Parts: sequence; C-alpha cells; structure tokens
Amino acid sequence: MKTLNIIERIEGEAKLVCTWKENKISDAQIQFLNFRGFEYILNNKPALDALIYTPRICGICGQAHLKATAEALENIYKSINEPLYITDKAKLLREIGLNIEIIDSHIKWFYIFIMPDIAKLSKEQKYLKYEALKGESWRKGTYAASESIKALAVFAGQWPHTSYMIPGGVMSDPTLFDIITMQNYMDQTLHFLEKELIGTDIEKYFSFDSELDLDTLNATLSDFKNLCFENDLHILGKSYNSHITLSDTSLFESGRIEVKNRLLVDLSLIDEKDINTFKINEQKKENEYTWAKTALYNNKPYETGPLSRALISNRKLIKNIHKTYGDSVFTRVMARMDELINLVFITKKLIKQIDLSQESYIPAKIDLKDIESATSISTVEAARGSLLHKVTIENAIIKDYDVITPSVWNLGPGIGDKFGIAQKAIIGADSIEKAHIILRSFDVCSVCTTH
Amino acid sequence: MVDSQDMVKKVFTQKSARIDTNKGEKYYNNLFEKAKQRLSILKKQAPLKDIDMVDVIETEGINRRDFIKWVSATTATLMLPSMFEPLVAQATELMNRVPVVWIELQDCAGNSEALLRSASPTVDDLLFDVISLEFHETLQAAAGHDADRQLEDAVEHFKGQYLLFVEGAIPMANNGMYGTIGASGETFHEHLMRMSKDAAAVVAVGTCATFGGIPAASPNPTGAVGVMDLVKGKPLINIPACPANPANIVGVILHYILTGQVPELDSLLRPKFAFGYRIHDNCERRAHFDAGEFVEEFGDDGAKNNWCLYKVGCKGPMTFNNCSIIRYNEGTNWPVGVGRGCIGCSEPDFWDKYAYQRPMAGANIKAPTGGVEKTVDEFGLGLLTATAVGIGVHAVASAVAGKKSEHNEEE
Ligand code: SF4
Ligand code: SF4
Repeated sequence: MKTLNIIERIEGEAKLVCTWKENKISDAQIQFLNFRGFEYILNNKPALDALIYTPRICGICGQAHLKATAEALENIYKSINEPLYITDKAKLLREIGLNIEIIDSHIKWFYIFIMPDIAKLSKEQKYLKYEALKGESWRKGTYAASESIKALAVFAGQWPHTSYMIPGGVMSDPTLFDIITMQNYMDQTLHFLEKELIGTDIEKYFSFDSELDLDTLNATLSDFKNLCFENDLHILGKSYNSHITLSDTSLFESGRIEVKNRLLVDLSLIDEKDINTFKINEQKKENEYTWAKTALYNNKPYETGPLSRALISNRKLIKNIHKTYGDSVFTRVMARMDELINLVFITKKLIKQIDLSQESYIPAKIDLKDIESATSISTVEAARGSLLHKVTIENAIIKDYDVITPSVWNLGPGIGDKFGIAQKAIIGADSIEKAHIILRSFDVCSVCTTH
Repeated sequence: MVDSQDMVKKVFTQKSARIDTNKGEKYYNNLFEKAKQRLSILKKQAPLKDIDMVDVIETEGINRRDFIKWVSATTATLMLPSMFEPLVAQATELMNRVPVVWIELQDCAGNSEALLRSASPTVDDLLFDVISLEFHETLQAAAGHDADRQLEDAVEHFKGQYLLFVEGAIPMANNGMYGTIGASGETFHEHLMRMSKDAAAVVAVGTCATFGGIPAASPNPTGAVGVMDLVKGKPLINIPACPANPANIVGVILHYILTGQVPELDSLLRPKFAFGYRIHDNCERRAHFDAGEFVEEFGDDGAKNNWCLYKVGCKGPMTFNNCSIIRYNEGTNWPVGVGRGCIGCSEPDFWDKYAYQRPMAGANIKAPTGGVEKTVDEFGLGLLTATAVGIGVHAVASAVAGKKSEHNEEE
C-alpha cells in the first residue's frame, strides 16, 4: 500500500510518499516541490551582491548564509595568498550573530513544531499547554524567541535578512550600551530556559550525565522525555548513525564519525548528485521526484546537525544518551535542546570578550576586481547543520556559485539502494503521525533544501 | 534605546515633521463617523473566535498603559489624528470579526518569521489570539490533510469576507512546475487564483509577493511574478520590503477593520501611510547628508561617527518606506542604525537595480521617477544633480498615484 501525505508546519511544504508492508513503512520518498534557482540567479552578478542574495535563501537561517558568503569571498583572498586580516571583534560579532539566530531557531522549532506534535499523541490534559497557537507554552516559546533575536537586531539592524557582514569584517560598531543590551536579552533567554525548558539552574543542568536526571525536574524537557518514552520515540527514527560537521566554532569541532571513530574531514570528498532531482527547463524524467539534491561524503550519506555536533565535540549528556538510544528521535531532539542551552551559555561569554576598541572592518589591499579568477569554499554551522558555499569569481563577477545546505545532507533523496538520512530514519515507523515526527526531528526547511 | 512607539508618535504628530499627513478637518470628521458606524456593525456580528482583546489584556497581564501607548502609536502610523485613538482601540478589540487566510508560495518564510515578532503587545496576543487567522500553513495547529480541509472550509465559509494574505512570488515558467502545493499538485498560480477568487481583498506581503522579489532576479529562472501581475478585479494591497514590516501588516488589517476599505494606495498599490515618503526623509543620519558628511568606506571615522551612508551604497533617498521610523524587531533597530545602508528592498527590482554596494553616486542607477524633490535641501540637491542621479520623487510619485489609485477611501 502507498500513501501520500503533506507535511506542513515546517518551513514550506514537503510531500511524504510512504510504502507500507505489514503496517510498517517500508519505503519513504520525501519530495520538495518548490524551487527558486538561487545558483542560477547568482551567476554573472557582482560578487558583493551575493551578500544581499544568499541570506534570502532562507528566512530562518539568513545569518548562516550571510556568514558563508562573506567568508567565501574572504577565502578568495586566501586562495591568492593575500589573506585579509579580520579582527577578533569582527569575528566575535559574526559568531555571536550566528549563535543568536540558532538560539532563536531552536526555541521556535521546539515550541512551535515539536512539542505540539508529540503532545497530540497523548490524551492527557496536562499536555494541552503545548497546543499550537492556543497553548500557554507555545506562546511563551514564541515570545522568548522573539525577545532573544532582538540581541541580534541590536548590532545587525534587523532580523530576518540582515547584511551587516562584509569581507574584511562587519559594518556595525556597537557601543557599550549595545553590549549591555545584548547581555540583557541573553540573560532573559537563559532565564526562560531555566524556568520553562530545564526547570533548574544551568549549573545543575551541566552536571547532568544521563536522561534520568530529567526525571527529578518538572519542566518542558521532562514532559518531552515522558512523551517520547510513552510513544517509542527513543527507539524510532534511527538512521545510519554516521555524522559530519564541517566547521569549527567556540562550541563545535569539525570532523566525522562513522561507527565509533572520529575522523578528519576533507572538503574535496564532498559531492552533490542530482540523479533524482528535477532539472531546470527540462521535462521531468520518471526517477526524478524532488528539487532537492543529494550530498555525499566519499560517496556515503552522512547526517549533519546538532546531534552530529554534540557527538563530534564530545558533549557529555548527549554522548551518554546516544550510547543507550542511538540516533533516535529522542536523542536527536535532546541534542538540539542541549545545544540551545550550551549556545546561550557560550554566547554570553563571547559577548563579554568583545573588545570595543578594535576595528570592525579593515579594507582589503587588493580590489576583488583585480583578481582575475579564483575559487574558494567556506563552511558554517547553521541551525540545522553544516552549510557549504563554493564560489568562483572572475574579476569580481560570479561565474559559479554552489550552495550545499544542511537539509540537503539530511533530507535529500537516497541514490540507488542507499537511502537518504531522513528516508532511512522514517522506514520502520508504524504510523504516519510518527513518521511526521521523525521527519520533523531533522528540523525540516523546504526552502533551504531546494534553494 | 529610543522608545520606538514614542518616536513613531512624535514623527507623525510633530508640526515640523517632513511628512504632511493632514488631510483637513472635514475629511477626518467624515471618516470618523464612517468608522464609528462600521465598528458598531462589526460589534453586532458574532465573533469568529471567542477570545477578545480585553480578555487578552487582562489575562496576559499586559499593562493597560502599554496598550494605550501602542494604540496611540498605531493611530499615528496610520496617519490618523489622535481623535481616532478610541476607535483604533475598539477596532483592535474587534479583530476577531475579520477572517484572515495566509498562504505561502515561492518564498523563504521571512515574512512569517517577521510577523512572529510584531510590535507589542506581542503578536501572539494581537494576531493569534484576537485575529481570526483561519489558515496559516506554518503556524497553525493542523497539518497534512487536516490543514487542506481547514483551508477549504475557511474559504467556503467566509466567502467574500476574508482577507487573503499572500507571501512569496508565483513561478510561471514551464507551466508552473517550479512550485506546486498540496496533495493534488496544484500549481502556485492555480492556488493563488482559487484562493483569491472569493477574498474580500488580497494583501501581498513582502517583495516576492508584490514584485516577484529575489526569485525574479535575472535571469528569473522560474519566471517568478508578483500577485498584482495575476490577480485582477479585486482590491489589492502591496506591502513590500524584505521582510515586510509587521507594523504595516497589522496596520493594514486594523485599517480594514476600522473602515472596511483598503487604505489609500500609491501607484504601486502600497499604502501611503507606510510608503508615502522615503526612508531618507526621516533618517537619523539625515543631518549628516545635509551637512555633506559621508562615510567614505566602512570602518572609517565617518562610520564610527554615524555619518550618512549614501556614498557606501545607501538607497534611502529613492526608497519609499517607513522603516526609519518604525524600525524592525519591535523597534529594536534598523539597517541604517548599524551602518549598513538601505538596499531599497521595498522597491520593484531592488535585487537587480540597487543590490549591495553600488553607491548611487557613480552607479548607473535610474531612479523610479525623474526630477528632484522639493524637500531635498540645497546641499543634497547639488550633490544629487552633480552625480546625475534622479532621486525618487515623492511629489511625482504621488501625482501618479493620485491618478491611478482606484481604491482610495471615499471622502
Ligand atoms: S520578500 Fe524577502 S523576506 Fe519575503 S519571501 Fe522574499 S526574500 Fe523572503
Ligand atoms: S542616504 Fe541613507 S543614510 Fe544617508 S540620510 Fe539618506 S537614508 Fe540616511
């Protein structure tokens, strides 16, 4: 038997076509049917214009795209042996900006999408507070997210779609007052997490080493855990358990894990395939069913995102949960929330480190126009995983621009007998509701997936 | 931080403000009577949702004073004199009488994201509790087939009454294959036409929905167009910008509730209350423009002293929008506030015409209209003509608007 379902309440829409055998999903096709063609649009544009275009690939992770573009253009200078000097202040402002965007995204995703869905699996009265739009927790979550993002607007001008980064640094020059304002917003966010999400103070949370510690608390995370265990979400949603993270930050380390061993990443082994992908201006072929491409490392699928990051950078609590439950929905979502808590903590520290006396921007000695031809790559950790931009320019004009988003790694179609990451995770689920939740555990964004 | 609500009020009510908002006593008295009548009729209608503003204010513990402050800032934003404040407050309470359907087409969800952070009282209180949002793919509770059904029900049930909000462009190339929706694989074009057929009015939100936006950037691989290229014979309001300012979205809804009509529009169907003047007109760096003090390069002394960004690419002088007053993220800030310069995101073709660091001075950019505006002072005038840039002219645009806007409020 085959069923077709529409997945809404992700960013955009996805179609899920499932084949069922003995009441279990035996094959799943994830289709993304909305396409805009950013890579075509970027062609032949002035290189700096990309700073305006790429953030608009996505209304939720525009910062990540902005940073990727700015750094790809900076790497052009590196590639010709004329590296730009970026001050620590500019680097910090970029990382802080990106962190805040991820913080906002994680809060929203959890309270707007995940909790309402899994709360629906239960009839218990006490979970009504997670109901979309009406529930008290839903409202508190959206409010907390929109307050935290203001910390970004303070020095980025607006959110979504800011463009304050530029090769050589950032355009903004925050004042001491701005710094204090940012700290205040982060304090509020931390307060929300302690009160609503964790149910205890952050120090205590950092001492946790097993999911059992959550049982002593009475907050969203404990509700989440109970709902997962009542509905087998600690067993469901397992994929290959191979993980990749492409870049380093204050919180994350790059690397990949296969089975157990941590290995280095060689960017040249990344490849994007479009066997099952529609082509522009062509009649679709039978095997083509989505606008998403497939990203592979050394010809193998890898998961990217908060779970991968937690495992690769060895974060204790998630490591321990993963030991018992593998890459299940429960582990994956917990990893995201653990990342959220860590990010707020670390971002507060980073804000303190800003030295206002440093420059925000130092101009390049060479004009991009004088660089005849060069290619470069940049990688950035976005909310949903690793993002890669690859650009070729000739005299400051873009000749080729390739974007591989985290959702391409996780949600792209499988090739041949190799299922895609989310595809594999869905197979085996015994109800469509659970299949939805498994898909959602990857934090689906259809606009990023197809761009 | 500047209190944006106070600032909004000040800008719109001060005598010295550059925007002349006064349409005369007779006009306002007339409108006042009409709005009063309209509200009393709406009040008699059964609410579509059993929550109302008063409840929300009480149960959510929103400070009554904050609410009143919000009302007076919003009244000012809508360019109405303060006598309308009690009516605006009432209209807020009657928001649950007007059904809203929100659809997403070829977009990045940026406007929905922006909407989640509308000015206080927080949007959940205002929009989600009080407005009868009958359908919003991303935010609503239902998903899948339930969502499909909910949309069909809403459109059927509120035939002729609902406001249709559209986010995203419409890809027309290759028979619309670049964007389909729902189980049946309906194209975005078909979907838009079907949804708009029975709408009371259609509101295009964001530059994608209004003018095609980034997807329509050359070579426009998917043949993206805006709503106004397709939907005809229906009141249509454009709220461009990338993302659209939630204050303007709320403003349009409030205005509709208050008057039952679409607000006065310019030639590009943008509400004049928000797009009737340029960013440059109320920019906090304007004094430096007038004094000839420009940032020459990011990071220089001019940048550190918040001088004008014109020479590093600011498109404020040709961009009609109110973000210099309303700002973003509940008034937290706006691009020019952090030294970035405006990219003209509420103007058609901004993506190809104005994009990034192409200073208008020296760039081959044609302004939307010819001529030079009266309010450009002597120095600015000299500078602009010297660099051979025709500036976006409010006066001319308004004259055109006067001829074209079909949906003016009756006087
Ligand atoms: S107008 Fe801008 S914010 Fe809106 S959907 Fe388009 S790119 Fe996104
Ligand atoms: S050119 Fe830009 S920065 Fe300068 S006054 Fe005008 S809007 Fe402000």
